Amino acid sequence: MIDLHGYGPRLLEGALVTIELAVLSLILAIVLGLITASAKMSRNWVAHRLGTLYTTIIRGVPDLVLMMLLFFGGQIGINMVTDWLYDRFDIDIFINVNEFVAGVLTIGLIFGAYMGETFRGAFLAVDSGQIEAGRAYGMSHALVFRRIRFPQMMRHALPGLSNNWMVLLKTTALVSVIGLSDMVRVAAEASKATREPFLFMIIVAIIYLLIASVSEWFFAKLQKRYDVGFGGHD
Amino acid sequence: MADTPIPLEVRNIKKRFGNTEVLKGLSLEARKGDVITLIGASGSGKSTFLRCMNLLEQPNEGELIVHGEQIRFKETKHGREPADWNQVVQMRAKLSMVFQSFNLWAHMTLLENVIEAPVHVLKKPRKEAIQHARALLERVGLAERADYYPAQLSGGQQQRGAIARALAMDPEVMLFDEPTSALDPELVGDVLKVMRDLAEEGRTMIVVTHEMAFARDVSSQVIYLHQGQVEEAGPPDEVLGNPRSERLKQFLAPKR
Repeated sequence: MIDLHGYGPRLLEGALVTIELAVLSLILAIVLGLITASAKMSRNWVAHRLGTLYTTIIRGVPDLVLMMLLFFGGQIGINMVTDWLYDRFDIDIFINVNEFVAGVLTIGLIFGAYMGETFRGAFLAVDSGQIEAGRAYGMSHALVFRRIRFPQMMRHALPGLSNNWMVLLKTTALVSVIGLSDMVRVAAEASKATREPFLFMIIVAIIYLLIASVSEWFFAKLQKRYDVGFGGHD
Repeated sequence: MADTPIPLEVRNIKKRFGNTEVLKGLSLEARKGDVITLIGASGSGKSTFLRCMNLLEQPNEGELIVHGEQIRFKETKHGREPADWNQVVQMRAKLSMVFQSFNLWAHMTLLENVIEAPVHVLKKPRKEAIQHARALLERVGLAERADYYPAQLSGGQQQRGAIARALAMDPEVMLFDEPTSALDPELVGDVLKVMRDLAEEGRTMIVVTHEMAFARDVSSQVIYLHQGQVEEAGPPDEVLGNPRSERLKQFLAPKR
């Protein structure tokens, strides 16, 4: 059998961290993506500009740089605020940026921008007659969104969303640089200690592939559900 | 007379797209049981006029009174808009529209389409809505198609389904926007038959159409529009049987 030199349980824990990180980041990215898409489609000038600024910055700066900026810069920012509170009001609080939270925030923030573009395109692909019929039957904006625009948009968004998810999953490997013990970091440590890098990296690669395969199956099911009534792809 | 308010009154509607004025002050009064047909060449403004009645288009000027309630407007930097969208939402629930391209919701079955607005807008109990919907689908000849998706139905079936969806709201007034224009000729008859039945049972209807036989047989009033203005209006036997204006004569003349 393969000898993991006792690193098996830690590797598994690392894999769990990776999955948790990826799923929570995805949720944040979807929420930010929907907000960004609405902002960019809004006729409100300020909202439109803010949405564009956000996607431009995120798409123009490397993920790794953003992550370090947020993690280290974020800590400096928070320290400045707490120092000021202490000086002025004698309030003594200490906030330490948690690596996990920083990871979720950064990855969510990065992929929120990409999701925003995906959702925007998908919303624009919904036939305007479908929305008009909703309005003509007395539906409020919120109801039209929930009952018509969102379900019909999802069908167009899913291919892009699933693609973004795959990239997001792999981006979680970057969090090892800010010290979070995801499976890549555990494997790197194990490689150094045991001098068997190939073994540990191939295991990590297989776990990533496994997660990706399960996701692909899941997204195919979801696509089928949202394609109902449209007779396959048009 | 004073007991029941008039279902729909529109006064002096004006609409501009950019610098072009497409509606130049149109008025109309639909009393209970009226069937008003709007006819005219394409570009005459008849569809835009109809869409102003439920505010799918925002008129730049004019008044709208639905079942005795006046719709309030306010000026914004985007132009004139309704002052209270809740009022608009309630108003629209009283006027149901049948579209040229049907616009049944593609991700819902026919039955789900018919119960959607009654359940979510009128807050009708689901069971009751389904019962009503089945009866309406039966009536338009689609009882066996209740669980089909719109894409699985012919154009004529979709339009009859859309009429069932409109009826499910128990509307004060039904607005028809060229309901047969997107249909193959052999499917037009079934849809017109359903509409004739509705007229006979005393539904208040406003119909934009090119079907002159329908206009002649069914309407209580025909309005001929030309470039956003009423060129001629009156009972069908006058307007269609004995047109006064040269333009209308030409419009009605058999094409080749």
